[in-house]
Amino acid sequence: MSKFRSDGRELASKTGFGEESRGVGSSALPHSGGFFGQSADALIWRYGIALFFVAIALVSTLHLQRLFPYPFFFLFFAAVMASAWYGGPGPGLLAVLVSTLAVDYFLVPPFDSFAVNTTEGTYFIAFIVSALAASWVSSLKKKSEEALRDARDQLEIRVAKRTAELQRSNAELSASERSLRLLTEVIPQQIWSATPDGSIDYCNQRLLDYAGRAMQEMHGARFLETLSAEDRDRFHRSWQSALSAGTPLEGEWRVRGADGAYRHFYTRAVPLRDVQGKIVRWYGTNTDIEDHKNAEHTLLRAQAELAHLTRAVTMGELTSSIAHEVNQPLTAVVANGHACLGWLEGKRPNLPEARQAVERIIKDGTRAGTVIGRIRSLFKKEAATRDRLDVNEVIQELTVFLRDAAIDQRVLLETDLDPNLPKIVGDRVQLQQVVLNLMMNAMDAMRGNSDGPKRLLVSSSCRHGKEILIRVEDCGVGLSSEAIEKIFHSFFTTKPEGIGMGLSISRSIVESHEGRLWAEPRPSGGAIFQFTVPIAP
Amino acid sequence: MKESAATVLIVDDDASVREAVRSLLASVGLPARAFGTTEEFLRAKTPTVPSCLVLDVRLPGMNGLEFQERLAEMGNHIPIVFITAHGDIPMTSRAIRGGAVEFLTKPFQKDEFLAAVHQALDRDRAQRKEQAKISVLQSRHAKLTRREREVMEFVVTGLINKEIAAKLGLSEITVKVHRGQAMKKMEADSLADLVRMAEVLHSQSHE
Repeated sequence: MSKFRSDGRELASKTGFGEESRGVGSSALPHSGGFFGQSADALIWRYGIALFFVAIALVSTLHLQRLFPYPFFFLFFAAVMASAWYGGPGPGLLAVLVSTLAVDYFLVPPFDSFAVNTTEGTYFIAFIVSALAASWVSSLKKKSEEALRDARDQLEIRVAKRTAELQRSNAELSASERSLRLLTEVIPQQIWSATPDGSIDYCNQRLLDYAGRAMQEMHGARFLETLSAEDRDRFHRSWQSALSAGTPLEGEWRVRGADGAYRHFYTRAVPLRDVQGKIVRWYGTNTDIEDHKNAEHTLLRAQAELAHLTRAVTMGELTSSIAHEVNQPLTAVVANGHACLGWLEGKRPNLPEARQAVERIIKDGTRAGTVIGRIRSLFKKEAATRDRLDVNEVIQELTVFLRDAAIDQRVLLETDLDPNLPKIVGDRVQLQQVVLNLMMNAMDAMRGNSDGPKRLLVSSSCRHGKEILIRVEDCGVGLSSEAIEKIFHSFFTTKPEGIGMGLSISRSIVESHEGRLWAEPRPSGGAIFQFTVPIAP
Repeated sequence: MKESAATVLIVDDDASVREAVRSLLASVGLPARAFGTTEEFLRAKTPTVPSCLVLDVRLPGMNGLEFQERLAEMGNHIPIVFITAHGDIPMTSRAIRGGAVEFLTKPFQKDEFLAAVHQALDRDRAQRKEQAKISVLQSRHAKLTRREREVMEFVVTGLINKEIAAKLGLSEITVKVHRGQAMKKMEADSLADLVRMAEVLHSQSHE
């Protein structure tokens, strides 16, 4: 079809040029036809024809004169008029002059002489004046006739030009329409439009091909059938709210293809408004993001696995600290159990004390269970979740594991947590991994200073009312400006036994929470590692 | 087994353990006082009755083993029963060398724990008895005159009166009188008794 149209355009443009060239030709015509040009040949021809007409008039008159009793000059008027008509004013005057001489010589007495009788003089002058008038009228008439033809020719030329222009612009229009249509069909996106009430009234071929449907199968609610069942409601709600508010539609959903398989699409639609601001139509595109989604998913899974691995490694380093945390409540449980038996023994059992001991057993057993639960969650390989979290709780749950390790390394572990923090949205385990990592690094950094203070401060605060800032400060060896650049890179480590993944993973976790993780030297020695997480909307 | 009044002191930073141990001791009739930190323990009054210390090894700041050494430096010989979540052999031997009664691993059983506590209390009782004896001897010794003390010093080293008189530039009679006074004031039954007393006093003045 496009081939045909393409030929059509060429044809149209050719015709356009044809018209134009013909127009140019016809515009030259009046000059050659009207005055025969100004060349010598034309001049001779024009004056010659005047002489020829007069000669015919003379011969004819000499023959006809015999039939009439009175002088017969009318044919000379015809010759003069014809000469003025075909030759112009000059040949007209020549015809008048030659006719006057011919009439004087042959037809006015005395005959065969140029002399004129006084009695015939008036009559002869009347002939001359009439002949001049005839020549004048004829050449005038001819002139106006030519002007008229000129005007008509000009008009014709203009019409031809306009027609050509119109044809050309038509051709251009159809070409641009065709290239637009080509664009809508060729670009790797699905394009559609909808009426202001939301019913689909156009889909590009790509969309129809993907859905395996004809246009009439996409109208109205039938369009919804192509969406996956779980996404239908969500799409419907988004679309209805976009339609009623006149705001762009944006979202991701799975759409069923002709082969029955679902793929993720990203849809964006914007309204077109008229001058009054009334929505005339909606235009939308669907972009296939399935591969992107899959890649993203694979990346996330790989990241999660790496994070899990390093988390497990870090937790491994904390085994004795963790064992201590579990052992403490167990010690209390055993001691309370013995105490309870002790209170129950004897002649007068002390029931209130026994009861309190049992209550403590329950409390301590629960505590041990909680600790184990937290350990399990830190060791578990789970897809990232998004929950509303209290940052302080996240930190406190974690410091439990580090308490014993801190005592062991004589690190004074302090927290300064703002009690009025807004909640955030994030993955508890992942955030704990970040804090754990930063705290372990801080303790490692202070391993060297045996005499100086070993203080580890974890603080939380709200910044600008829109994000939570978590800081981990140490009094360790500090950071060189060179190290600050590199510490977040994978496989960069300053620790002999480190693998250099902790901070790089921490940073990607924080970034996946739309936050920032960075380090700076602590003014009085040591380093500050801090990260932000936006507060929950 | 009838016990005289005693008090067990507990230092553990974990409130649950502290409270459980206190209750366990109370259930067998042993009054106990618990402290979260060593500083709290030091601020508290030393009990006048036989007592022992149940001490957690892992403590924030100064750990249990260091605290044991610190107490010794301060002249506080309260018997210590160590409890720890994960004690290793060097840690145990260090504690025992430092005079600890027992080194128990958490969670501990009632019998071994109470046995250790009783052993510690017995040791404190013995220490207190010993200390009481020493105090008596010291107060008797304080009543001696300078000459009597000098004479006693030489007597217990085995010198006879004549030799002492020569050393001190006194007459033998005078030495004999001082010697009799010293024996009387020290309430010594025999020379051997006096020698034993002098040894006790000597060991105390050297500490």
